[in-house]
Amino acid sequence: MVDESTRKTLSSIPLLKTKAGPRDKELWVQRLKEEYQSLIKYVQNNKDADNDWFRLESNKEGTRWFGKCWFIHDLLKYEFDVEFDIPVMYPSTAPEIALPELDGKTAKMYRGGKICLSDHFKPLWARNVPKFGIAHAMALGLGPWLAVEIPDLIAKGVVTHKEKTG
Amino acid sequence: MADWEEIKRLAADFQKVQLSSTSQKLSERNCIEIINYLKEKKIIDLIFTVDGKEFLTPSHLIQDIKNELFVSGGRINLVELAKNIGVDLAHITAHLKDVLKGQKDLHSILGQLIDSSYITKIAGEINEKLAQQGQISISDLTIQYDLSAEFLQQQVVEKHLGKIIHGKQDTNDPRVIFTESFIARCKAKIRGALCGLTRPTPVASILNQISLSEKLFFSLFDQTSMHGALTSRVVGAQYIPNVYARSQNEWVNNFYKQNDYLEYDALARLGISDYKSFIKKQLSSEDLVFLNSCAASKRVLERAEADIDECISSKSYLDLQSNLPSVFNDKDIRLILDTVLTKQKQQQTIVIENFILSKAFIENLSKNFDELVKEKAKAVVESGKYQQYQTDIQISSSKPQKFEEVDEKVDKREERRKKAAGGKSGGGTQGRETKTKSTKKAKKHVEEEFETVERRQQLQVVLSEDIADLIQKELEEDGLDELSEPLTQYLLPQLNEKGLEIAGEIYAATIADRTANRRQTHNELQNKLNALIGDVRLFEKGLKLLPEELQGQLVKYLLKTLCTDITTEILNYVAAEQNLNTQTDNFTNEQRLKFVNELPPDLKKSLLPLIKSLSGQSIDEFMAAVEESLSVCSMIIKKIDKKKDRTIVLNHKHVLLEQLNKCDDLALVLHLTTLIIFTTATQCMLHASGRHVAAILSFLKQYLTDGQVAELTSYHDFVTLMLSGGSEAESAKEKLKEKIQTVKNIANEFKKPGAEKS
Repeated sequence: MVDESTRKTLSSIPLLKTKAGPRDKELWVQRLKEEYQSLIKYVQNNKDADNDWFRLESNKEGTRWFGKCWFIHDLLKYEFDVEFDIPVMYPSTAPEIALPELDGKTAKMYRGGKICLSDHFKPLWARNVPKFGIAHAMALGLGPWLAVEIPDLIAKGVVTHKEKTG
Repeated sequence: MADWEEIKRLAADFQKVQLSSTSQKLSERNCIEIINYLKEKKIIDLIFTVDGKEFLTPSHLIQDIKNELFVSGGRINLVELAKNIGVDLAHITAHLKDVLKGQKDLHSILGQLIDSSYITKIAGEINEKLAQQGQISISDLTIQYDLSAEFLQQQVVEKHLGKIIHGKQDTNDPRVIFTESFIARCKAKIRGALCGLTRPTPVASILNQISLSEKLFFSLFDQTSMHGALTSRVVGAQYIPNVYARSQNEWVNNFYKQNDYLEYDALARLGISDYKSFIKKQLSSEDLVFLNSCAASKRVLERAEADIDECISSKSYLDLQSNLPSVFNDKDIRLILDTVLTKQKQQQTIVIENFILSKAFIENLSKNFDELVKEKAKAVVESGKYQQYQTDIQISSSKPQKFEEVDEKVDKREERRKKAAGGKSGGGTQGRETKTKSTKKAKKHVEEEFETVERRQQLQVVLSEDIADLIQKELEEDGLDELSEPLTQYLLPQLNEKGLEIAGEIYAATIADRTANRRQTHNELQNKLNALIGDVRLFEKGLKLLPEELQGQLVKYLLKTLCTDITTEILNYVAAEQNLNTQTDNFTNEQRLKFVNELPPDLKKSLLPLIKSLSGQSIDEFMAAVEESLSVCSMIIKKIDKKKDRTIVLNHKHVLLEQLNKCDDLALVLHLTTLIIFTTATQCMLHASGRHVAAILSFLKQYLTDGQVAELTSYHDFVTLMLSGGSEAESAKEKLKEKIQTVKNIANEFKKPGAEKS
């Protein structure tokens, strides 16, 4: 299933209570509030563990999210743009995180740079509706994917280090 | 709307959180990397724990070690230490030096770390134990504390001896420690044991008794014992109490003073094995002679010498065995004799076994044998053995002469060579002289030996048994009978020599005698033979008067009797001349023939006809043969003397008459009567046997009266009747006895008829 460190990280992320999508006006606000709180907690945890690996921000309504994520390999930092929309059926449907830069560079990716999540992710998510939120999706979906794919891509030379600071 | 405000605020918070700098915390991974890096650069020095998750600085490790040592009570095994601290053993050993540096009270021994507190502790323990046992050896402690003997000795025991450990170190063996009281106890034990001993005792058994170690015993012995001595310092040693040694010495001295000798066996029985040195030490002032079984004082020798002198002067014998102490064995006596008997004395004495016999004594003894020797020598000569022996010597003498020649040759060659050698060496004249002397001696010796060997082969004139018998008798009186055998052996060759000499003399004498004798016997024999031959001639003359048929018979008889006697005499003479030891007296004719055949050819030629004539028919033939034979024997037959014949006949008659008058034999009376009548009647002698009596009687009838004839015939008839042994023999005998006187009378009174008539 999921490795030990992931499980540990996951358990430290606060669970959500409100089951509401963007269409549910009042409740969505509530949900969004919880989302933010959980994200703050997650980022804080990461920073405490010196394991900060992404930046995220959303539009005003909180339906579209974008930002950056990075992976450190051999003391080099590889940075990618990340973006995703909150689906209408959210939270029943998990958000589809995309790395547009890597579109077409790896087989483990749908069109538009959406990453292929592991077989475990979807049932796990389904079982934990509405408790899992965006923070969970990041920790459970993107994090492992990066850890597996990026070293491979670097080795293949598909991804090269760009000298930039951030 | 307030909610959205809240959302905004949250979004802002979120951004703020994201932008806030991440705390610069190093992960574990990073730490390990950093430390590895630092270690690589040798900037820091760290020690990994066994599980690899912790580091220690060396100084901390040293502190840890010290702490652990303290916790474990001053002594800890390095392996255990490594386990306790959780560091590899290699690090511990590597840093042990640092731990020990500047810490004099810390010791690292046999993979263990020990500090002074522990040492003090065990020193206390050792003291307690010492107090209990009285004696402790380091080796025991090594086992107990599992520490090296050296360490225990130097660091524990010696450092604390007298302070914590109240005891003493053995001066002989520093590895043993004991308390004063223990030593005192042991001393007392040893003293007690040694005082109690009165005879030599092996140390081992003493130790067994008092259950002490030999080491202790030997180290304490000197301090304790005033009562005895040890033979050596090993386990097999013997303790000899002074009492014993003193009594031993006393005994030896007394015995020696009393007896003037010391027997080795007796000393050995007293437990003195090295008796020679003992005697030398003990009786150093005495003048001693060491013999085979004992040591004797010079006095014994002097006594023996005096005895011998006396023996020589008194011409007697001396039994050393009985004169010397009985313990002296044969070898001792031999040794004494060697020293006592000087050359001069040796010449005057003879040593047989343990007896010393003066030569004079033996001479006396051997005088008794003179008779015997003479006798024996005579016997030897008479039996012809001596002659045999002489010829043997002549035969064998050729060989030894040759041998001697060779010997001499060899000798000369040797001498020549020696001379040459001497010449080369230059100044070695003296050496050469001695050498030649020795060879001469050797040669002499060889000759002597040779002679003795020869003597063995010599004729044994005197047998050892004879001598032994005589000596036995002689010696038994003196109680010396055991000496008879060796004395016999000694005397035998001498006596034999003497015997041979005497035999030689006797032989020479007999040879001289015999030549004289022989001449005489030759003459005698010649006369005797002549007389016999004369008889034969006369008998022949007589028998020729008788009828023809009777003549033949009488000739045969004559040949068989008288002629055979003559032949025998001649043969005996020949045998003697030829040095043959045969007596031909009872020879048959065949034996005679054989004998003659073995004679030299010239004798044989002339004697053969004589033998043959004996079995012939004619007296003439015999006479001729006799003449021939006698000439060979250088004898002469005397010429016939008629006058002498007459006297011979008369003599013969008288002899016959005498015989007749003395005779009681019935038959012989008739026989003699007839012969007398015949001789008287015919003036001729007759040689006839009883068988011819009847025939002669019938011939005599012409000379006798009828009465005489009747008387004689009847007597004759009775004689034949008696000799036939029939039933009438007894009555015939009676008759004959009656008639015997008449017959005798007839014979006596008979006169030649012619004379009567005239």
